[in-house]
Amino acid sequence: MKKRLLGLTLACTMTAMSLAGCGGSSSGTDATTAAADGGTTAAQTTAAAAAGTGETAAPAGEGDTVLKWAVWDISSTVYYQPLIDAFEAANPGVKIEMVDLGSADYQTVLATELTGSGSDFDIATIKDVPGYTTLVNKGVLEALDDYIAKDSVDLSQYGGITDQVTVDGKLYELPFRSDFWVLFYNKKVFDNANVAYPTNDMTFEQYDALARSVTNTTPGQEVYGAHYHTWRSAVQLFGILDGKNSIVDGNYEFLKPYYEMILAQQEDGVCQDYATLKTSSLHYSGAFAQGNVAMMNMGSWFIPTLIEKIKTGEYGEEVADWGLVKYPHAEGVEPGSTLATITCLSIPTSAPHKDLAWEFVKFVCGPDGAEVVAKTGTIPAITTDAVVEAISGMEGFPEDEASAEALKTANTYLEMPVHAKSSEIETILNEGHDNIMTEGSTIDEGIAEMTDGVQAILAQ
Amino acid sequence: MAFGKMANQKNVDPEVVKEKLAKLEPQLSALQEELKNTSDKKKRDRLIGKIETVQGKIKQAKTGERFSRQAKRDLVAYSFIAPNFIGFCVFTLVPIIFAFILAFAEWDGNNAIKFVALRNFMEAFKNDRFIASLKNTIIYCIATVPLTLICSLGLAIILNQKVKGRNFFRTVSFFPYVASLVAVAAVWNMLFSPQKSGPVNMILYNLGMAAKSLPKWSADKDWVMFTVVLFSVWKNMGYYMVIYLAGLQGINAELYEACSLDGANTWQKFLYITWPQLQPTTFFVTIMLTINCFKVYDIVYMLAGGSNGVLNKSAIVLVYHIYEEAFRNWNLGYASAVAMVLFLMVLAVTLIQFRGEKKYAN
Repeated sequence: MKKRLLGLTLACTMTAMSLAGCGGSSSGTDATTAAADGGTTAAQTTAAAAAGTGETAAPAGEGDTVLKWAVWDISSTVYYQPLIDAFEAANPGVKIEMVDLGSADYQTVLATELTGSGSDFDIATIKDVPGYTTLVNKGVLEALDDYIAKDSVDLSQYGGITDQVTVDGKLYELPFRSDFWVLFYNKKVFDNANVAYPTNDMTFEQYDALARSVTNTTPGQEVYGAHYHTWRSAVQLFGILDGKNSIVDGNYEFLKPYYEMILAQQEDGVCQDYATLKTSSLHYSGAFAQGNVAMMNMGSWFIPTLIEKIKTGEYGEEVADWGLVKYPHAEGVEPGSTLATITCLSIPTSAPHKDLAWEFVKFVCGPDGAEVVAKTGTIPAITTDAVVEAISGMEGFPEDEASAEALKTANTYLEMPVHAKSSEIETILNEGHDNIMTEGSTIDEGIAEMTDGVQAILAQ
Repeated sequence: MAFGKMANQKNVDPEVVKEKLAKLEPQLSALQEELKNTSDKKKRDRLIGKIETVQGKIKQAKTGERFSRQAKRDLVAYSFIAPNFIGFCVFTLVPIIFAFILAFAEWDGNNAIKFVALRNFMEAFKNDRFIASLKNTIIYCIATVPLTLICSLGLAIILNQKVKGRNFFRTVSFFPYVASLVAVAAVWNMLFSPQKSGPVNMILYNLGMAAKSLPKWSADKDWVMFTVVLFSVWKNMGYYMVIYLAGLQGINAELYEACSLDGANTWQKFLYITWPQLQPTTFFVTIMLTINCFKVYDIVYMLAGGSNGVLNKSAIVLVYHIYEEAFRNWNLGYASAVAMVLFLMVLAVTLIQFRGEKKYAN
């Protein structure tokens, strides 16, 4: 009897111990511990990054207020330090300290940091809309409306993008950076094939024909007319550019022609096989840098990277001559309609210095900040002609007129609109995309999967 | 010394001592009486224990010490386990209990916890991704456990013979287990590249398989679990081989000798000597493997996660589902409920195994 009891207890303990990892990790206590942990590592990263880049900022003196700013990729992001320098120069007595939370799972780490008590971030960078929605739902972000009203910030300068991230009449973030999708192309590939470069006004049919005309499927000397990164947004979001369809309304029939076009391209070797790209986790920059990709649709965030890597010689001759044009468009849609991704700043409800944090947010997201951001080759949320000029005038930016023209957008649609269920919807759309692209499902089956799945979520 | 003695003693009030003794002494004699009349060993042991406690109390009352000798011993013992136990409480026990409670609540980590009774569990069984992850986890276990057992046992038996370069081959077999998962998963995905030109697919193609029907391995929703199982077996068999090797070397060589004299062939030797003698090892390996299989996450994530680290229904496993619900969707209550389901499954499997092979458990 006693032994049996012992055995049972032992079994219980064994299983409990074995599950401690996962059972515990789903509990809040652990989340807080993780947050505390994250804090230290993040602080260490900052220290390391600061040491690495030989940070010029003077250490915070006595009596200075230090604002903590949550960011990612300090070492490879060019505009953080200029922004901080400009702000600190205008606001003596305030120092900004960056904390790098890493880029891969930035939003998850940030959400964990802001969960529970003990967070002392004054400013949080918001990387994407699902992450923003999560934080708003958790109630950890400060509504900015009162501040905006108090300082009469003009929201119209953001071109309507702030309306798209307003939740229940309240705005919790201000954009300082706005990236949109363009079509990158490699001039050398077109020259070799004796084909004219893409233009700023192409329908999808023209785009498809152009991609096919430069494709070479001879083994050993493959040239791909197009390249689609494995993100669902690289394919699915062609469908929302006509402004008639939404990615969150639970009806995906409109995606069919685009999937048909891209699967046919994949079949004919016009673009690389999705399954291979997925299993090899090939980065889009690596794919483009190989010099055998004619056109690639990607966000404007790739511009500074490309310029930089060509300058440092990491990317060779084969991609040195590149250009960009506006996204292809459906028949009857204004050219320049494209997808946008915004990067924003928010103030956590737990921020120790909210008023000063607002000053920083106002500066970075305002016209002065926009100028600083544009000087680094990054596209700020406020795009004036001066900004476009600053970027297209940068060293390393393609010199043809079409490329400068490509920076002017007509209608921009958020990659993922604000929606309470956006992260669940995202999962389903990803899965549908994956199944269609790996040819695990037919297009119709995949679309039905997405429709049913999203509608089930919307019905909850 | 004198100071220590004083600190440990209080003023002995004879009246109080008398009162205490009047209570304790009858207890003692009653217990002693009972002990005389009991023959059952277990009961006697228990009575003796009680008598010792009462004797200790009497002594304490007489001397007026603050702590009895037994209490002091206990305190010392507790202080020895305290460092570990406090850590265990803070980092393991409390989170586990908290997760148990959360399983019946709704919580996003910030807003107030709301109790919802069994709704999390009901929701789980209505959730496609949960059902898929449950199915995949069970398939993974059922396929991986026996395959790993067979492979590691086979390897162990071969490498227990006197073959040339035995140590070299032992090291080679153990290597996948110590190699970094991230690195070997990348290599594996290259070998099992979904293209026709992938090394494995090339072999299949040359064996006459049609190019269209070549599997896409970890990118193929029908083949992904197979690829994962294959990978896990390959990665983990070295570790279990070492355990089996130890088991094999523990078998008395005389048994084989006797068997040979009786004219047994190799297969009979395996069946009547090796296998039964290895039962305790097999039992241990099976339990460890099953538990580890239920906990699988990293392998699936590395092989099938792609560039955004999201697992599809064709590859999702329970632990990943817990992670995505907890830290992507912030349904901490729901995630805890799924963790409970996982816990109960592992508990059930372990109990069945203990029951079935009780004789080896000790």
